[in-house]
Amino acid sequence: MIKLTNVTKVFNKNRPNEFTAVRNVDLEISGSSITVFKGPSGSGKTTLLSLIGCMTKPTTGRIYIREEEISSLSDRFLTDIRRKTFGFIFQGLNLIRGITALENVMLPGYPTGETNCILRGKAIHLLASLNIAHKAESKVELLSGGEAQRIAIARALINEPAIIIADEPTAHLDTRLSIDFMDNMEKLKNSGKKILLASHDPLVYASEIVDRIIEMRDGLITKEQA
Amino acid sequence: MIIDPAVIALFTGSFLVSLIILIASWLGLQIVMFWNLQCGSEKQLELEKWTYLVSTLMAYAFGFEILSLFLFVYTTDSLHNLFIGAMCAAGTLNTGTFGYHTLGIKILILILAGVWLVMNHVDGQAGDYPLIRKKYIFLLVIAPLVLLEGFLQSAYFLSLKADVITSCCGSLFSSSQTYGESPLSLMIGFPAGYLQAAFYGSAFLSSGLGFFYYRGFNKLGWFFTISSTGFFLISVFSLISFVSLYFYELPTHHCPFCILQREYYFIGYLLYGMLFGGVISGAGAGILSPFRKIGSLQGPLPIVQRRLTMTSLFLNFFFVAIVTWQMWHSNLVIDR
Amino acid sequence: MLWIERQRYFIDFALSSLMRRWRKNIALVIVYTLVVFILASIVFFTQAIKREACTVLEGSPDIIVQRLVAGRQDLIPARYADELRKITGVSEVRGRLWAYYFDPASSANYTVISTERPGRDEGCVLMGQGVARSMHAGKGDLIAIRGHDGSYQSFEVKDTFSSGSELVSADLIEMSGKDFRGLFGIQEAYFTDITMKVRNAQERTVVSRKVLNILPDTRPILRDEILRTYETAFAWRSGILLIIFTGSILAFLIFAWDKATSLSIEEKREIGILKAIGWDTGEVIVLKSWEGLIISLSSFLAGIIFAYIHVFFASSTIFEPVLKGWAVVYPRFRLVPSIDPYQITTLLFLTVLPYTIATIIPSWIASAIEPDSAMRL
Ligand SMILES: Nc1ncnc2c1ncn2[C@@H]1O[C@H](COP(=O)(O)OP(=O)(O)OP(=O)(O)O)[C@@H](O)[C@H]1O
Ligand SMILES: [Mg+2]
Repeated sequence: MIKLTNVTKVFNKNRPNEFTAVRNVDLEISGSSITVFKGPSGSGKTTLLSLIGCMTKPTTGRIYIREEEISSLSDRFLTDIRRKTFGFIFQGLNLIRGITALENVMLPGYPTGETNCILRGKAIHLLASLNIAHKAESKVELLSGGEAQRIAIARALINEPAIIIADEPTAHLDTRLSIDFMDNMEKLKNSGKKILLASHDPLVYASEIVDRIIEMRDGLITKEQA
Repeated sequence: MIIDPAVIALFTGSFLVSLIILIASWLGLQIVMFWNLQCGSEKQLELEKWTYLVSTLMAYAFGFEILSLFLFVYTTDSLHNLFIGAMCAAGTLNTGTFGYHTLGIKILILILAGVWLVMNHVDGQAGDYPLIRKKYIFLLVIAPLVLLEGFLQSAYFLSLKADVITSCCGSLFSSSQTYGESPLSLMIGFPAGYLQAAFYGSAFLSSGLGFFYYRGFNKLGWFFTISSTGFFLISVFSLISFVSLYFYELPTHHCPFCILQREYYFIGYLLYGMLFGGVISGAGAGILSPFRKIGSLQGPLPIVQRRLTMTSLFLNFFFVAIVTWQMWHSNLVIDR
Repeated sequence: MLWIERQRYFIDFALSSLMRRWRKNIALVIVYTLVVFILASIVFFTQAIKREACTVLEGSPDIIVQRLVAGRQDLIPARYADELRKITGVSEVRGRLWAYYFDPASSANYTVISTERPGRDEGCVLMGQGVARSMHAGKGDLIAIRGHDGSYQSFEVKDTFSSGSELVSADLIEMSGKDFRGLFGIQEAYFTDITMKVRNAQERTVVSRKVLNILPDTRPILRDEILRTYETAFAWRSGILLIIFTGSILAFLIFAWDKATSLSIEEKREIGILKAIGWDTGEVIVLKSWEGLIISLSSFLAGIIFAYIHVFFASSTIFEPVLKGWAVVYPRFRLVPSIDPYQITTLLFLTVLPYTIATIIPSWIASAIEPDSAMRL
């Protein structure tokens, strides 16, 4: 379902600070599964995830999402695929401060033009399934780390994506919350979603729900274990 | 030279719109030269971002061109007090040089910019920018016109001097007197009977073509563009020649501007709005037909075309309906 | 439908994001409002005063005939009127008496006219509000006017004019013809000037040419000419004022550009997040455009309303000296409120258009933030 052939991403090409963050990567990921990208800092995990998540285009190589070649699509179509296919959870959670948790969850749905009451209903439903519905109307800067984490998960799910991408999701969480997070991921996996994680947290990559671990170094895939 | 707040506003407007058109066409030129979607280079990524800027600039330019046309007509209308013999915009435009040229080019730019936005919209419907070069080359055609407009408008206002004796609707449009130099006055001399026939004939032809084009006869595309444009021109012509008479209920008043005024319930805005909408959507629908062959447009283009054709047909139909209704109910008596 | 729903979300979010940064935006709105206020005051004021001049002139005669002696205006013999009546197309000819009078007590100039209305009592005057104010006189009071021979004559104030159009009547003192001639020493056989009415508007120029032929020592003045002169004079004054204010518009634009380009880290972060969670560049531009539009519209509206109040209810206190340039008699007069789409469009072109254009590129730059920047915060 996701296929990369010979993908390379070069930053600042032909300039003194030229840097190749991802090199000649071939990869295929299919089925509902949890894949973890693991590797030292600067090894290109985030870059690879943003390539898969249609956030940037590869310098060379081809990326296929559901058989569709995406690297020569217009920005607009790429965005369209991104919001229909992917849900993102970021390292810093990246919630927008000053608005309520509910509004944060609804935010990815705005450009789709879904009517307000359907969108709101979906958001409340998601918050309820993550046991956080009681915080729907609070401002996000007042939430605890674990609550904010669950808001971020709900936001990633609002457009009903098939693939969840999470970059270092447990970096700021303590052990208990990290385990909570992995439990939630397991539920999502069981509901048929494909999950891609980047992490060097053993709580993540050593977890037994993980199906596949891909190790990276200097932009190359060095080792794979299933 | 007349210094008036509205004249200064028009100067400002045309300067700023020229500026944004220049920026847009400079970006457009880069895109035409260096565009290569297959290449993932940073230059290409940059160019893709520029397309958003160009679209935004053009949308604003279009909006301001509409306002500028309105303000131009209104200004010339309100300046008529300054000229002996001028009673409305028609007289003021006849004063000084390039008055009617400025008006004409403003109308042309408005239609072209509208068609450009239609093309841009269609291009956005496909994932691989199929029209990118064509639309930016088209933009490069529009840009000099905008600069020319700025030039003509400045020349016109600079040439205006209060107190110049001019001829206005009364003498300008009455066929009994000498025609003066106005291009519009030539239209009056044309026999109204033929023109009426042409008006209804072109309306009929255009809607027939539109109907078949709508039903999928793609070969008619260019004909529909031509007939829509033709209908637009004949309608403007007819408006001056005979339609206006029925609105004013005066046998010799042919002014195309007075119907914009309150006395006539601002009906002019509705009529001209429908004409512009009709010609932009009609011409746009037809011009797009050659692009149906492009793979990525095979899905979305027919939908857009059908919508445009429908819009054009509707607007033109209502235009003809209002005009006919007015001719029917007018108290005007023309003795021939 | 979908489109409307999307725009509603964008407007909602634009509003809330403006509110969240109100500290940054409030300064912009205040300056913007001020600029609109100044420009709108100028435009409203000139338009209204132009209209006022038109109403003044509406009641005035089509042609005024003055006599020139050695290039200067002189009294005109009453028999000239008979000559003028003979011209075809002239419907009415009438002699007028009017004078400027400088009143040392209130040190102001007034216009004294005589009208031969039936029942005009001798020894009585009517006066405009402006005169009444500066002379501190009201109905029933006695006022003294200095005659041509140096003696003072007293008149009873019978009434003051209602202030329909104050500009017309503010400095007027109206008295009977006999009093006028006595006061200023003008003989029966003379008038100040002669007025004519010509029924057919198109014949006025012809008639005035005939007047010159019959009475070569006169000068006919057409009302339309005065109107044109007024129009040009006012348009010119306000145009010049606007040009003077272009400096302030430019300063405002630089300020706006600076505000739009200097995105705070928080703002950049937000846009990055929006892009990352599935907003398109075009959609962020729409969002930014709404923000600009909301700022523009609210400042524009506020500026227009303040200017309206300033011009029509507060007597344009700020601009009066520059724009009016009339005698001291008009301390405050009310202009008849009027506003039309033409003025609004003019003002839009002078304020909202430059602001919008100054912010297109900054908002595009903001919206072009890479979506993956959100992953590297
Ligand atoms: N926009 C950019 N311009 C230049 N270099 C970049 C850019 N983005 C990323 N890089 C570089 O690419 C390399 C790979 O970055 P990436 O974020 O993918 O690493 P990572 O594996 O996610 O590291 P970490 O574990 O610290 O998050 C880094 O050296 C980074 O400096
Ligand atoms: Mg990383």
